[in-house]
Amino acid sequence: MATAHDTHDAASGPGGVPVHMIAHPTPEELRARKAAGRIRLERNAELMSLSMGPQHPSMHGVYRAELELDGEVIVSARPEIGNLHRGVEKLCEHRTYHQIIPLTDRLDYISSFAMNHGFCEAAEKLMGVEVPARGRYIRTLAHELCRLSNHILWLGTSIMDLGTQTFFTICFRDREYVLDLFEMLTGARLTHSFGRIGGVAKDLPDGFDHRCRKVIDFLPKRLAEYERIIKQNRIFIKRAKNIGIFTSDDCYAWRVTGPTLRAAGVARDLRKDEPYAAYPEVEFDVAVEYNADVYDRFLVRMREMRESCKIIRQCLDNLPDGPFLAPDAGHSLALKKNVLHDSAAMIQNFYQVFQGPQVPKGEVYRCIEVPKGEMGVYIRSEGGAKPARVRFTTPSFYHGQAVPALVEGEMVADMIAIFASVDVVLGDCDK
Amino acid sequence: MSDSLSPSLEKALARLNKRFGARLLEQTVLYGDVTCVVAPEDWMRVLSFCKSAPQLAFDQLDSLFGDHLPERPEAPFEVVTHLVSHKHGHRMRVKTSLAEGGSLPTVTGLWPSAGFDERETWEMFGIVFEGHPDLRRLLTTEDFEGFPLRKDFPLQGTIGGRIRTDLRGKV
Repeated sequence: MATAHDTHDAASGPGGVPVHMIAHPTPEELRARKAAGRIRLERNAELMSLSMGPQHPSMHGVYRAELELDGEVIVSARPEIGNLHRGVEKLCEHRTYHQIIPLTDRLDYISSFAMNHGFCEAAEKLMGVEVPARGRYIRTLAHELCRLSNHILWLGTSIMDLGTQTFFTICFRDREYVLDLFEMLTGARLTHSFGRIGGVAKDLPDGFDHRCRKVIDFLPKRLAEYERIIKQNRIFIKRAKNIGIFTSDDCYAWRVTGPTLRAAGVARDLRKDEPYAAYPEVEFDVAVEYNADVYDRFLVRMREMRESCKIIRQCLDNLPDGPFLAPDAGHSLALKKNVLHDSAAMIQNFYQVFQGPQVPKGEVYRCIEVPKGEMGVYIRSEGGAKPARVRFTTPSFYHGQAVPALVEGEMVADMIAIFASVDVVLGDCDK
Repeated sequence: MSDSLSPSLEKALARLNKRFGARLLEQTVLYGDVTCVVAPEDWMRVLSFCKSAPQLAFDQLDSLFGDHLPERPEAPFEVVTHLVSHKHGHRMRVKTSLAEGGSLPTVTGLWPSAGFDERETWEMFGIVFEGHPDLRRLLTTEDFEGFPLRKDFPLQGTIGGRIRTDLRGKV
């Protein structure tokens, strides 16, 4: 049997069998498994309708699903979202590009920097701003820290939904180490507004390198510990294996992306496929699993966390010198420390804060891989400092929509496991 | 950021042009993104071709949303989609312009993920999607009045956003 220590070894799968020797299930097999796991029902049975959420603890926010139940089996589900709608897109039309960055923080508040990053990438594409190498590396580092904190939170809450309280507190304790790094780096734990057009807000502080290395040395050990608790746990296996099968075709049809898609055997990761920031310069593997069930989504996220630690270490090792914010007076803010000492920086700051960046007419769409899936940002500009239309294509919006396709024919108790496994955050979903 | 296209996308565009020719009203490449503008009556035909033709094979609808351009009074609304092909790894944008009160056929039959997108576009801009299985308000409350993402809708104030107490208990 594989021990917890060698399970993250990419060359060998369960039982030490090399990966290329394991036959992966074909889509037909997966569909057959899915059909076998679902219970056929007489439609004429008397149905009970149950409103699950918006205050149900397993709904990870204010998601509501109207379920039609026959006994414990879900006959149909109807998702209702919008309880957290704040009109971000409307607000964006009335703010300059710099002022939009704090708004994007509030989209997916679990991984704020990833949202900043997506918006900045799109805005830079529109403005033609080149991010300096150091800025790109710090972005990559912060984005991967985000992924770590997001996945640890996901792990804690989704396992809590399956009935363990202690594991949740363990995960939250370890997530705090990552949040401490964020606090050191940006000054805030959750909504950091750290991205800037043309780079990032601050350079790495003194001592960050040392502390960050301590955390990324420590976390893989904790991940092995998590796996010792969860991976061979009979209750978890019973509740996760062959539950909520969602094949790659289903994922495409419902625009389900990220770890759920990769758990269905598709090696799609925009960090590799449409690279941005410093991802082309670091080495990492795309985590792929093949059974498309709740258990494999767990495995994908566990491997992704290890890959994140690897990326962060490479970023720290190869961090280039130079500016971390583009010296582009037309589009980026001036360095804060120079504003009161340097007249050019002061003029730039005044101009950017009061007038905003002057952006050419046009439209762009940029899609990046955030911890929950693929996030696209569409910006249409008519010139000037404010966008004419911004659209955030956020992953949770579509993951929340796909819930009926995921749960119909499953048991109510399994819906909780399935809903947790696709990772929906309602700030991201309701915009 | 170059305007050179990938070979697969070149092939896809050639196929699309061969099939539709002059019915594609406009075709631009901006910031490396390909945009095709079609007439609303060709909307369904072009999108289903985009999905089914093997050279295009757009198997995922990345996003569908509306836009309002009041400076174009004859066709102030736009519906924009972004398509992704996992098979070829390319992307394309398809747009159409609509007059006030215009409608489009739904594409939920091609990509079920368009369901929420079309509901959002309807509630935010008032663009009707014919044949949509469940065209209700999505993000705002059921009794919300007005189309909030239109440019003439105010950012602040109570117009259209008031809570209707007379509907209490009925919705």
